[in-house]
Order: sequence, then structure tokens, then C-alpha cells
Amino acid sequence: MSKFKDIEFRANQELKDAYDFDHKDPLFSLSKEEISGSKLSRRATLRLMAAAGGLTLAQVLPGLGPKVSLAAGHAGGHLRCAWAGVAEIITLDPARINQVLQFQIASNVLSGIMHIDNSLVAQGDLAESWDVSSNGLEYTITLRQGVTFHNGDKFNADDVLFTFNRSKDPEKSIHSRVIGNVNEAIKLNDHQVKFVLAKPQASFLTKALERASGRAMTIVSRGALASMGDSQYGLAPVGTGPYKVASHVLGQGVVLEKFENYYDPDRPKLDKITIKPVDGVEPLAAAMEAGDIDYIGGNPVPAQLVTRFKSNPDLAVDIKPGPGFQSVWLNPWRDYMRVDNFNKPIEELKKEKGFMVRLALAKALDRALFIKQGLFDNGVAAHGTINPAMGYYFDDSLSQSSEQAYDPEGAKALMAAAGYPGGKGFPEIKLIVTPNSKRLGLVVANIYKKVLGITVIVDPKDFSVGIEQFNKMDFDMRLGGSGGDYDPDDGIVDWMQTKSKFNGRARNKEIHPFGFFSSAEADAAIAQQSVTADPAERKKLVQEANAITSNKVACGFLYHPVDILVYNKKITVPTDARIPGLHELDRIHFT
Amino acid sequence: MLDYMFRRVIGAFLVMLAVATLVFFMLRLVPGDPIAAMLADAGSEEARAAMIKRLGFDKPVPVQFLKWFGGMLQGDLGNSIYGSNQPVTQILAESLPRTLSLAFLSFVIALIIAVPAGIISAAKKNTATDNAFSFFAFLGLSMPDFWLAILLIIVFAANLQWLPAIGYSPISEGLWPWFSHLILPSIAVGTGFSAIIARMIRSSMLEVLKADYMRFAASKGLSDSTLLLRHALPNALIPVITVIGIAFALLISGAVVVENVFAIKGLGRVLIQGILNRDYPVVQGAVLIVSAIFVFTNLLVDILYGLIDPRIRYS
Repeated sequence: MSKFKDIEFRANQELKDAYDFDHKDPLFSLSKEEISGSKLSRRATLRLMAAAGGLTLAQVLPGLGPKVSLAAGHAGGHLRCAWAGVAEIITLDPARINQVLQFQIASNVLSGIMHIDNSLVAQGDLAESWDVSSNGLEYTITLRQGVTFHNGDKFNADDVLFTFNRSKDPEKSIHSRVIGNVNEAIKLNDHQVKFVLAKPQASFLTKALERASGRAMTIVSRGALASMGDSQYGLAPVGTGPYKVASHVLGQGVVLEKFENYYDPDRPKLDKITIKPVDGVEPLAAAMEAGDIDYIGGNPVPAQLVTRFKSNPDLAVDIKPGPGFQSVWLNPWRDYMRVDNFNKPIEELKKEKGFMVRLALAKALDRALFIKQGLFDNGVAAHGTINPAMGYYFDDSLSQSSEQAYDPEGAKALMAAAGYPGGKGFPEIKLIVTPNSKRLGLVVANIYKKVLGITVIVDPKDFSVGIEQFNKMDFDMRLGGSGGDYDPDDGIVDWMQTKSKFNGRARNKEIHPFGFFSSAEADAAIAQQSVTADPAERKKLVQEANAITSNKVACGFLYHPVDILVYNKKITVPTDARIPGLHELDRIHFT
Repeated sequence: MLDYMFRRVIGAFLVMLAVATLVFFMLRLVPGDPIAAMLADAGSEEARAAMIKRLGFDKPVPVQFLKWFGGMLQGDLGNSIYGSNQPVTQILAESLPRTLSLAFLSFVIALIIAVPAGIISAAKKNTATDNAFSFFAFLGLSMPDFWLAILLIIVFAANLQWLPAIGYSPISEGLWPWFSHLILPSIAVGTGFSAIIARMIRSSMLEVLKADYMRFAASKGLSDSTLLLRHALPNALIPVITVIGIAFALLISGAVVVENVFAIKGLGRVLIQGILNRDYPVVQGAVLIVSAIFVFTNLLVDILYGLIDPRIRYS
């Protein structure tokens, strides 16, 4: 017993030390020596984990040693994967990738300068070490030497510059915005590059230089692009990653083979991986149960299959908090919930009928019931964009303190005060969903009927139609949100600022001065957090912005997805391979 | 005959051109923003503008049409606007063998079931055998193919583990892998068609069996099998072949649900994905192929009429 107490005491000390930031240092409260170099010390790692929000006592406790990739196990073998909920892997070119399920594969083929670990902390990938100037504006990256592309070309600083220039060009890449803050990329020598930023950016390592979420600086092969052309490269990209693409037939799947010259001799473990897209729920289950596939990636495993898989003794089901959020979006330009100015104190807003309705619609969301009925208990109630996978930035207290916390009586009272007692006189409104999320929409509609007595008509629309209406502010309500949010910027910058890319970007600006939400104080806090390197200060700003968007009902926040990994027990998935939303196929192996 | 075929082929090409034109303009009327679908959660206004320009969507629709139509006449169906911009001809060339494989096997299965079932039903009209065949025919017609597909997967893939649950293996990788991947989807697709064809053969045979020449043949003392197979069946086949022709053409584009269940990217799946993504060039190309298959299958059926029934001559 005393031994456990001793371990717990030491863990608590380490945790305390990790969070004991030096607030004068803008570089994640670590000294330049600690943050630079080829390796991170355990202390630096823990501090970075704390800064990124991934550190809890549980992570410090086991063995009190840093987690390392498991070298043990049976090397080699052929892993057969299904990529769920998709008919084809349309592209693997990082410049074109627009879905999480695509970069889940590309991330095993192409390397980034940085790559997040299972605590969402950026670690060096092709960067051997990095040095950040004291003003946070210059990042000098020392690249690994001896790295080769799958086609035999040597990797060097010119490839970084080539990738940078390709990604910066909006005609060639859809991710030019990710590196929009970079003024200049300079080659210092064959193995050193420097990025000069326009302003400090807290998410620079974890987003702009990261190979999965940002995608802009996922290193592509100049030679292969020249010889293959963009189209063929998109199918079978050549990179420096642990696996090379042996074949890719659209709609039939991707075959990956071990890259023998990968820079880490301990990885990858497997010889071959076959990835088949599987769109149906039952075929996915049957293929898994029949042993036709060993591992499921792609879109989230359908919630209705989780219990079934859990009861199968041959299968392992591992659930972690996932990055992302889903909401019921409310159009503030509809007369019955009109709010044309959110820049008022909340108490003043509460006196407006339109806001009363919005708040009622948010308060009426019985998230626990929705998660139970819609997601079969696989989800976390959401009250903001910041998700539990972000750990450090996640504000658990918001579920209690937010104005939109579930309160059926309060919601009814608001509707009555707005002139719709028991939902009487309230118009029938449409909730746009995708065909695949129709069932979720029906659960939401039932909740509204039960709590507020209003009729919500579920309106399934193809994604291309629904998103167009959403962008034009031509909707009543829409069910949707975001996935792959590893940094707070992914949620609040992309969605919650007046100028956010999703905030009614195709609207008629003369009629609708803003999209679904606009708050000057939220804009300011979000802009400030983006350039704040100090983690504690940034956390404060992130949570402040998150609370504003929650209290002022930027939308009715519904749930954060969980990351459900299902695999056959003959596979070992080590802890360091469990990055929410990603699949580190180079680290897994047969037992 | 040659003159007739020549005129039909010219007519077929005109029909295809009309379909291509109609589809091009109708697609532009369908709501949905292909650029928004492509960018999803990525992309800035600059990226959007650049993509619109790169894809030529900034040009007037008639200009876009002339460019596409001109390319089509030279065998260039353009590139997919989605993902890695694969050439449409490549996408279709990859998916067509899968669809043809599935259609061919489904067709064979449908005929293997339907022809004997139809003949026996007609020969044993209003008996228990006929009723049993009719019952199974209605069952086959009533069962949705996706439901039967899932049932087959559960039984033969998940429980018995005899056959693969999903996927497709090209014939170049071996006959058995190709065949084993196609058995279940072919049964799922073929069962429904077999019911239709069996009912058609039965009713057509019943008509023929009442004819005077059949009574005459019977009076000659011919055996039942000779009567049915030599005299009745060829005469009953004319309407059946029409149905079979249409059924085969439908199989090419209509197996999309089963293709989806078994994760086989055939022509139907290409078409549906193209429509969902508002991938105009892919939809236009796929519709062109489907219309070609319909038109030429009908032409083949017309030619077969002449071969089966010497009384039919084209001029």
C-alpha cells in the first residue's frame, strides 16, 4: 500500500512540476535549451503535454516512465483494414485532402515536419530539432539527415521549400490558409530551414507544421510529382513515411507496403496493409466478425455496432475522447429567432424574443438522452467547440455554468415569454441533416417535441446541398460540426469568429452582415489566443471565448464524438499508437 | 439487314448525344455546390476562387458545354472535379469490368433459375409444383436485393465463413478469387431478375401451349420434352428476350445498392457517388455509358428477334 502511495506522491509532484509554468517565457514555459535539440527530456515532455492539455495524473502514474513505442511483438504480417462509412478514398494528396479519413491513411505514407503524439503534443517528425526565437516569430528547423523518399530521392531543405510553395498557392492547395501566417520560408542549408511568421502563433508546431491536421507542411516529393503528375500522385503519393503505396484503385482500396528505408529502423512493424472502403453498416460488422478484416479506420464506427463488437470475444474495442464537436446550428436571421446584434450584455439579450427562442432551443437539448438514443452512449455532451481530447483547454465546468446547460423548465419558460407557450404558435421549422445522420436528426426533433412542444421537420439533404444552404444562411436549423480538431484554433478560429470560414461565407452580405454568429468580444479573445504562446494565458482566452460562444448561443452545442477503435485481438495497438482520430499503422503489430 | 443495322447504329449515336446534352444541362439545374462539397472543412475564399477558375466554372455554361462536348467527340470525357482529378475515362474503364462481371454472373444465375422454373410452371399449370414456383417467384420479387445481400453476408460470410463478405478481386488475380467475391452479390442481384423472367416465361409459354400448332405437334405423338423445348420454348422467347434485354441493361446501372453493400465500385456506384459529390464530368460520362449500353442492348435484342423467329425480317 505504501508503495502505491509513494508512486502517487511522485506522480503528483511531477504533475505539479509540469503545470508550474514560467509565465515570463513565451515558449511554452520551457527554456530554449529544453525545447530545442534532438530529444525532449521527460520533464519537457510532461510540460508540453500539460501545455497542450493532454496531461492527467493517470498519464503520469503508470510506471512513472515515458511511454515508448513497443518493440516487442510479432513483426511482419498483412493487416486487413476496412475504412468505414466511405465509398472511396478519393485522394491522398495532402494538398487536396478534405476528410479526416483521407489523412488517416496519408499520415502513414507521408511525413510532416512535426507530428502530434498520443497526448496531442507536437514532436519532431522530419524535424530532428527546432529552435524558436525569443519573440516567437522565427522557427529554425533542423531536418533529419539520411531520409529518403519511397522513390529513392534524398530528402532535404529544398523539399520543405517546395512543399511550402505548393501549399501556399491556393491554386494548388486547399490548405494555403494554414500557413497564411508564414511570411517567409528560408533555406539555411541543405538540412536547415527557417520559418518567419507575421505574428506569433501558438498552434504553429501543432497545426501548421503537423502532418495530419494541418496538412500544409506534409512533405511531398518533387520528383514524383513531376514524373507522375498531380492526378496520379493523388492516388499513390510518394513520401518519406513508414509505408509506401503499392496500389490504389478508386473504390476498391489502397495497398500499403513497408518502406524498408524508413528513418526509424524500429518501424513499421507490418509488411503489408490492405485498406478497403466499406460504406454499409452490416457488411462492416459481418466482415469484421468473419475475420475478413482485422482493423477498422475511416469514419467513426457506427454507434449501433459498438455493443455488438464489445460482446465478441475476438475483438477489442477501445474508446477515447475524440477531437471535434457537433451542433444544432440556428439561423439568427429567421424572424422567430432573430438576433441581429450579439454585442450586448447577456442579460440584455435575454430580453429579446429572438434570443429567448435561441436560448430555449439550446437549453432544451437533452444531451444525455440524445447520446443515449442517438449515439448508443458513445459521446460526450458538448457545450462549446473545445473538446475533451484537448484536455488542458477543455472546460468541464461549462456543462454546469453555461447558459445553454440543459434546463427543460427554463427552456419552456423562455418559449412562453417569447410568445410560444407550450410551443403554440411556433412555426414548423426544418432541420437539415445528411442522409446518414437522419436518425440523429429524428432524435433531436423528438427532444424538441417533448421538451418544447414544437415541430421540427427533419430534412435530409446531400452534403453538397446542405452545406451550400448553410453557407448562404438559407436554413432554419442544421445538424453538423467538425472533426479532427487537435488545437483550439480548429474549433474557435474556424467556426466562431465573425470572419470564420464557415460563418455564412456565401451569404448576401448586404442582407446578412454576419453569418450564424458575431461577437466582438469573442472575436477579440479568439484572435488573442491565437498569438498567445503562454499556455496558461492561452487556456484562459480559449475558455473565455468558448464560454462567450456558449452563453450567447452561437449554436446549440450537442456532443463531442468519442474515438472508437475496433480491432481483432490478434493485433496489438500500443498506447503511443492511440492518437484520437488517427491511425498510427506503423506502430501496431500482430501479437 | 445491314442497311437496317447501319441506320440503327446512327440512331443510337444520336440518342446518346441527346442524352449527353440533356444530362449536361440538367445537372447544372440540380441544387448543390460541388466546390463546397470538395472543400468540406478546408479551404479559404482564395482556394475556392482558384478552384472555380481551375475547373472552368467561371465560364458561361454554354462555353463549358462546348468544351466538354468537343472533348467527348474526341474520346476525352474530362477529369473528375473531385479529389485527385482522375480522368473520367479511367474511372469508367476501372469500374466497367466490375459491373460487367457482376451483371454477367447475375444474369447467368437469373437464367439458370428462371428458364427451368418458367417452363415447369407452365407445363404443370395450376398444380402444387406451379404454386410452389409461383410462391418462390413472388418471394424473389418481394425481397429487396440489399436485404437479401445482407442476409447472404451474415449466413455465408459471417457465420459459415465460406465466402468473402466484401470486396472485388479482378479476374487477373485468379478465377476463384474473382468468382468467390462475386457469388453472393450475383445471387442477391440475380434472384429478383430470375423471378421476373420466370413469370414472363411462364405466361408466354402458356400462350404458346394453347396454339393450334402445339396441338398439332402433340397429335404427332411427340414427347413432352420435345414439345416444350423444341416447339414451345422458341416461340415463347420473343417477349422474354425483350425483358431479358432490358433486365441486362438494368443490371449494368441498377446494381448500385448491392455494389454498395459488397463494397464493389461498379458503374452504378460511380454514378451515385458522382451525383452526391456533384462531380459533373463523372456523372456525364457514366450516363453516356449507361445510355450506350441501353441503346445497344436494345439493338442486340432486335437482331436476336430475327435469329429466333425467321418470320421477322428487317429491311
